[in-house]
Amino acid sequence: MTREESLQIIQQMISTAKNEQKDDGKGWIVWGWLLFAASLFSFVNLQLNWLNPYFFWNVLGMATIVLRVAFFKNEQTVKTYTGELFRKLNIGFFISLVFIVLAININALTPVVGFALLINLYGFWALIYGTALHFKPSVIAAFVTWAFGFAALFAKTFEQTMLLHACAALAGFIIPGHIARKQFKQIGSRKNYNDIVSV
Amino acid sequence: MFKELDPILHSQLRLAVMSLLISVKEAEFTFIREKTNATAGNLSVQVNKLKEAGYIDVVKQFKDNYPQTLCKISPVGIAAFDEYVKNLQTYLRQ
Repeated sequence: MTREESLQIIQQMISTAKNEQKDDGKGWIVWGWLLFAASLFSFVNLQLNWLNPYFFWNVLGMATIVLRVAFFKNEQTVKTYTGELFRKLNIGFFISLVFIVLAININALTPVVGFALLINLYGFWALIYGTALHFKPSVIAAFVTWAFGFAALFAKTFEQTMLLHACAALAGFIIPGHIARKQFKQIGSRKNYNDIVSV
Repeated sequence: MFKELDPILHSQLRLAVMSLLISVKEAEFTFIREKTNATAGNLSVQVNKLKEAGYIDVVKQFKDNYPQTLCKISPVGIAAFDEYVKNLQTYLRQ
């Protein structure tokens, strides 16, 4: 093995490992569309005065649990440091989410302020995720999401809050999620280590 | 002055395994096999050599009733890899 081949192996394998730290965007897309749908259905529901105002949010909660258990099984064969960070970040995100939802439910927060805080939380998540993955669309999405969060603070009605929340879900999760998925597929179709170096 | 390259690391498959493990927290044997395109037998032999040298830690356990082998680079392995890369650079600078 020549020195150049050694260097090539090192560079190629480190690059391969780095690709494992990419996110396929699947989780963002599903979560984003769930939030988007719950917001819009709630908006329509409030307009029609049809069901309980929080009916679709209860459905969202149950759907999230079912989807998490059924489809997002941990089958990873490698643990990366970034992956560990994300696991902890997601735990923190989930606890903060439950905290705000609980605060709304016990009337410690008004729904308008509560949902503005939730949007704020989405922005925080997107910024950390985007920074750790060096994924610029998510970093940009974080600031756009925060803009919707600030706007939501000044919402006059819960309907307006729901529309802003739908926009935040679109900007914070759905759009960057689809971009991430597209990039992930492109990486997957590239030549891998085996095509360059045969061990 | 050229320094001798570590013979344990100066082998294609062992170097590939170490380069993979240096970038991650831990990896399953199947992951390493997939990324290096090595046969299970050959990889197993090379992983054992790295383990005997103290460069990696190998944990064998069961996950969902299936055997699972986890590999993780050790502090000795990190130091050896670091030195290998530094020595390699002295050759390439010439």
